Amino acid sequence: MKFFIPFRKKSPWILHYNAGSCNGCDIEILAALGPKFDLERFGVINTGNPKQSDIFLVTGPVTYRSRERLVERYSQIPEPKVVIAVGSCTTTGGVFRGMYNVEDGIDRYIPVDVYVPGCASTPQLIIDAIVKALDILEAKSKEIEKPFKLFGAIETIGNKLSRLNMAKKVELHEKN
Amino acid sequence: MIWVWIALAPILGGLVYGGERVLRARMQRRLGPPFLQPFYDMFKLLDKRTLIVHAPHALLAVAHFFALWFTVAAIFLGWNLLYIVFLHLIAQMLLILAGYSVRSAYSHLGANRELLMLVAYEPILILVAVGLYLVSGSFEITGMIQKGNYLAQLPLLFAALLMIVPIKVKKSPFDVGEAHQEIVGGVEIEYSGVFYEFLYMSRFLEYLFIYSFVFIFGGESVWLGAVLVAGVFLLVNLVDNATARVRTPQMIKIIYMAAMPLAVLNLVWILR
Repeated sequence: MKFFIPFRKKSPWILHYNAGSCNGCDIEILAALGPKFDLERFGVINTGNPKQSDIFLVTGPVTYRSRERLVERYSQIPEPKVVIAVGSCTTTGGVFRGMYNVEDGIDRYIPVDVYVPGCASTPQLIIDAIVKALDILEAKSKEIEKPFKLFGAIETIGNKLSRLNMAKKVELHEKN
Repeated sequence: MIWVWIALAPILGGLVYGGERVLRARMQRRLGPPFLQPFYDMFKLLDKRTLIVHAPHALLAVAHFFALWFTVAAIFLGWNLLYIVFLHLIAQMLLILAGYSVRSAYSHLGANRELLMLVAYEPILILVAVGLYLVSGSFEITGMIQKGNYLAQLPLLFAALLMIVPIKVKKSPFDVGEAHQEIVGGVEIEYSGVFYEFLYMSRFLEYLFIYSFVFIFGGESVWLGAVLVAGVFLLVNLVDNATARVRTPQMIKIIYMAAMPLAVLNLVWILR
């Protein structure tokens, strides 16, 4: 409904996931949530629960082990949702690019809406990214968004959509 | 007139919750969210896609909300205080059933903790009802608020009630049931969209429920009741900002070893 759409902008709840980061960006995200930079003034809550979040903050180059969790968490967030890649590692792989155990950024697995540069990216940049993401969130429709890889089909049980298989591993995945 | 207030109860509770979030932010010297933030959250949650685990699980959240609303309505209508305590128990049991009805480990953990919280605060609530009865001679709230000076005769019982307020509104020393990043909301974990909104609104009603107990201690003077509620509200938020979470067994130990003797001592002192 059109009436509800402006309220997306007013209460973005974030989910933070560490996909093998060095914790530098995680500390900056927590600093942005803390009293000095105070993200809560935009209505942000750090929920920690994918089913109640709107914005997915990912840090770290995706390590081989963490990619299934990344896709699973992404598919558990109900639409409309926005993904923010925080830090150089998450956007391109950073200094780890081309190494045998990382996947060179999250955009091989899930669609990313906002990229934040920096090693580590500063709280100011993260706040800017979230404010940018709010505009994207407002413009989005409620279409189901799927991860690029590692997901099963969305099946229909009765007349309901089921995402049970969505995050299940379907094949042995080769590294790109 | 009273029916209007009953119909508006969730909105009233939402205003209290919004004010509390602003107050907590100001205590930490930050700006904080807008005053109407809970309503923005509610409208946003209405528009989200909803993921349902299974139908009874979603329905139990709705049932919990309406049972709690009925409890608050009973308070506004001035019914028997013991009935109200047990009506609230029914609402909590629905929530706990919802927690056990899914296979998520965190949901089970949250339901366990919710049950232990019930064990901690329920005896105190009943003792408060009994204490108010012993002074006023009536279990009806309408009868209770026609007598004065509860605070002079039931100071220790009021202190005991003060200790269980943080459990009920899930504030910091005793917020084991929700425990933000530790068990990710406990029983709330599998809810999303509209059904999470019912749980979100039932939190507003919990505020009204427990603070109306505080209000009754004001007796016939509405102003004393209002001052008590405001004071307890400030104190609970101050303690919330200043303390860390205790573990569940510690919480039960604290309530049973500090609050319970205080309440019993007060009752013995009245009956003597």
